Amino acid sequence: MTVEVQSKAKLSQLTSDKQLTFIKLAVLSMAAILSFATRLFSVLRFESVIHEFDPYFNYRTTRFLTEEGFYQFHNWFDDRAWYPLGRIIGGTIYPGLMVTSATLYNIMQFFNITIDIRNVCVFLAPFFSSLTTLVTYLLTKELKNEGAGLVAAAMIAIVPGYISRSVAGSYDNEGIAIFCMLLTYYFWIKAVNTGTILWATMTALAYFYMVSSWGGYVFLINLIPLHVLALMLLGRFSARVYVAYSTLYCVGTILSMQISFVGFQPVQSSEHMLALGTFGLCQLYAFTQYLREHLSPANFELMFKALLTTLLATLGTAIVVLTVTGKISPWTGRFYSLLDPSYAKNHIPIIASVSEHQPTSWSSFYFDLQVLVFLFPAGLYFCFTRLTDANIFIILYGVLSIYFAGVMVRLMLVLAPVMCIVSGVAASSLLSLHVKDIEPKVEKHDKKKKHENNLVFRSEVGALFVCVLGCLLVSYVFHCTWVTSEAYSSPSIVLSARAHDGARIIFDDFREAYTWLKMNTPQDAKVMSWWDYGYQITAMANRTVIVDNNTWNNTHISRVGQAMASSEEHAYEIMRELDVDYVLVIFGGLVGYSSDDINKFLWMVRIGGSTERGAHIREADYYTGSGEFRVDAQGSPTLLNCLMYKMSYYKFGLVYTEGGRPPGYDRVRGAEIGNKDFNLDVLEEAYTTEHWLVRIYKVKPLPNRGL
Amino acid sequence: MKYKTLLCLTVILTYFNINAQSRAKGLEEKVQQLTDMTSKQSIIPLNFNKFKEYVKSPPRDYSFIVMFTAMAPSRRCTICQHVYDEYLVVANSFRISPSFSDKLFFGMVDFDEGSDVFQMLRLNTAPVIMHFPAKGKPKPADSMDFERAGIHAEAIIKWIQDRTDIPIRIFRPPNYSGVIAFAMLFVLVAGFLYLRRNNLEFLYNKQMWAAIAVVFCFAMVSGQMWNQIRGPPFFHRTKNGPVYINGGSHGQFVLESYIVAILNGAVVVGMILMIEAAGGVKGTDINRAQDGKRRRFQSVVGLVLVCVFFSLLLSVFRAKTQGYPYR
Repeated sequence: MTVEVQSKAKLSQLTSDKQLTFIKLAVLSMAAILSFATRLFSVLRFESVIHEFDPYFNYRTTRFLTEEGFYQFHNWFDDRAWYPLGRIIGGTIYPGLMVTSATLYNIMQFFNITIDIRNVCVFLAPFFSSLTTLVTYLLTKELKNEGAGLVAAAMIAIVPGYISRSVAGSYDNEGIAIFCMLLTYYFWIKAVNTGTILWATMTALAYFYMVSSWGGYVFLINLIPLHVLALMLLGRFSARVYVAYSTLYCVGTILSMQISFVGFQPVQSSEHMLALGTFGLCQLYAFTQYLREHLSPANFELMFKALLTTLLATLGTAIVVLTVTGKISPWTGRFYSLLDPSYAKNHIPIIASVSEHQPTSWSSFYFDLQVLVFLFPAGLYFCFTRLTDANIFIILYGVLSIYFAGVMVRLMLVLAPVMCIVSGVAASSLLSLHVKDIEPKVEKHDKKKKHENNLVFRSEVGALFVCVLGCLLVSYVFHCTWVTSEAYSSPSIVLSARAHDGARIIFDDFREAYTWLKMNTPQDAKVMSWWDYGYQITAMANRTVIVDNNTWNNTHISRVGQAMASSEEHAYEIMRELDVDYVLVIFGGLVGYSSDDINKFLWMVRIGGSTERGAHIREADYYTGSGEFRVDAQGSPTLLNCLMYKMSYYKFGLVYTEGGRPPGYDRVRGAEIGNKDFNLDVLEEAYTTEHWLVRIYKVKPLPNRGL
Repeated sequence: MKYKTLLCLTVILTYFNINAQSRAKGLEEKVQQLTDMTSKQSIIPLNFNKFKEYVKSPPRDYSFIVMFTAMAPSRRCTICQHVYDEYLVVANSFRISPSFSDKLFFGMVDFDEGSDVFQMLRLNTAPVIMHFPAKGKPKPADSMDFERAGIHAEAIIKWIQDRTDIPIRIFRPPNYSGVIAFAMLFVLVAGFLYLRRNNLEFLYNKQMWAAIAVVFCFAMVSGQMWNQIRGPPFFHRTKNGPVYINGGSHGQFVLESYIVAILNGAVVVGMILMIEAAGGVKGTDINRAQDGKRRRFQSVVGLVLVCVFFSLLLSVFRAKTQGYPYR
């Protein structure tokens, strides 16, 4: 109480300048806290768990890093995955995420704050989004002014496009990568504005952090050279830009090559060639400027022409030779699919089939950005009216990222920050313009009688507009909160549903099953499941899996698909070959969980039949005569007798699932199953969870001779 | 009477004789003829007689893939043309592929030339692609299901391999139209720049670039890229009249994206008007009464635009998203 009074007293004593600083600080810290708090829906509703699939892998590697140390981690050969092949973890991941959380964990331990590594992982993404809020403020301040910075910070704190990848528990690379990206941009703008080597080196360091944490750094290393090129074309190229870019390119490239997953790509692959070319162009440009100062115009002309021809010829031959010898790798498919949108659709089914790689419809834009959709063009207009080096950068960033976000829904993540920055500029300028209209009303009204009519009216319109804009921003807040709570806050490892009386039912079957595996199976047991669950099994049950979410080996996955799609005898051969001890299937027929293995089954058939050894598996055999996929009595006999069907529906024919329905009624497919009465010959049921979501089978050993 | 019977008998005998002859010489000659025809035209056009002779009559050791279609413009079968293009790609690819043999032939029956064939097979729809195996009668799976597999050449090839075990590698004639269009554009732009080489100031026109950037934003935000990749219908016709807005949140129509682009555009124009009305970005103050009147008008129009079109957009979005609680 006394403290409050004191602070209030102090506040009134402060000068208006200090008050302003205080307000700024308050707004900024509130935005940072808000961005942390709004991402906690899932922790409050469920508990502090890691979400989905990939985060479990990151969590497992982080745990390994904190327990064994960095060198062990760097040289880690993982024998728990891709049995019997294994996987070299150290050389195939971006280690930034794991190193960050391990560092945070060690710092906390040093100060005797005992926090579990899992909690560090869960809360890392919200923590980094708080930091992103601060960086956004700094970046926007460089572009426009402090007011715009505050608005942008408040906007990015709750923008759904960014929240979708950074809620508590979604422990993935993107969570920290956006922070690194904006930090790099901030330092870059600083470097361009000041032209000092210090800021340029900071940019390189931030770039290194970005490279170490996300593959999306390619966007960044193409955007900055583009900015330099644009500045050159506009005649704004100066010594400042030269210093900034040369330092960034040299230091940044050398640093980025230290990441073993990146390796020599920065000097070989074509995605990085723009940066290299711009670097060369910068040197040439600076050199010609230097020559022009020291030579007579006639000599310079001659020299220039000679140099240009030699250079072009050398470059041309070099490119041809390098491409022919294969030193410059051809453009990778994912990059092509960004430049030519129809490329992926026609050529690369594995890219086209992933839902994150789909194009973005207008409703997803609106869903993820709401009012920013209109504030952004207005902000662009603002940037264009006052072109500076920094504004050109932000325009380039905005236009490029809006194109990429249109091609791939996943890249909405890259678009969201620039949307917030530009919209922040627009909203703050609009507000300040019209608030200014309202304020001087009284004085002007008295002083200048001849404008009376217009001015009075104008101030009212101004007030009205401020109200409308306020309403828009309020609706933005409501929209964002609703989207976060409804769409982006389900952990998918724990499910929940509403009962008839409105009570919440929690399905915790996944963790139940994984714990069972951990406690009841031998240490070296090999578990076969579809690849979606590989990461979770290794992380939570600590057992060896045949395939996992890092889908690098298609034939191996195909073999598992063949086992699932074959009849029992045939599947037994495959399982013996893969040395499988347990088989795990996800079955949602009892509770109505629709993304279970039967619904994914056609993919198993397709992938299983896609390789040479799976030639006996034909997709058409799994449809009925009229081409339907049915599990009831009319379903195709191949389907009704394959391993996946038998494992999912074993003894299901005895269960009543819904009132007024026969036993064995599948609530997902809405049908009574066709093959109820069967026994398993080569498998035995080991465990089925409470709601039958996960079923685990043990592979029987070969029968004794003579039996 | 006697003569008549004799005559009948002779006729029958001759018939059988001829028949037997044609059978005897049948297989090799038929294959020879078919190979000749294939070398001329990769898809063999069939009428009723040819169809009976080559496809239906028994001595065969080859599979026959036949497309039943109605290509005449009067039939108004737009999909037939697409399917025909893809089918042609398949047939051409087969002709130059390493697995080319005389065990598989491609044929086509147009409704206007072989309606008897349609009647014989009791076909009511076109296009249909059917496989006539070397032995036995076609099964239900021997007619291709476009709805499930799609009409792409890749799907047709997969289906053919499924039915006949003959693998075909697809070879599409490279599509030059894109390259030509690009070259044309390049030449046009270069020519334009060359013509105006003495006056390149317009390239530095900020207004133009701003307009381009903003229009590009609208195009992207309203999902034109989605249209480009997915190729949705322009709008949907139902019994209750046309539907312009797709009910699901994952789909959209072309017209719908235009509507949204216009709505977005109107809101932004409103905002820009408000900026200009308040003295623009430079913050110049009003000096003359006339100027003030114009600005007052601008700001009112801007305000109305923002309010009206934003609420319109919101209602469109509500229609698409179930359970969206805000109006």
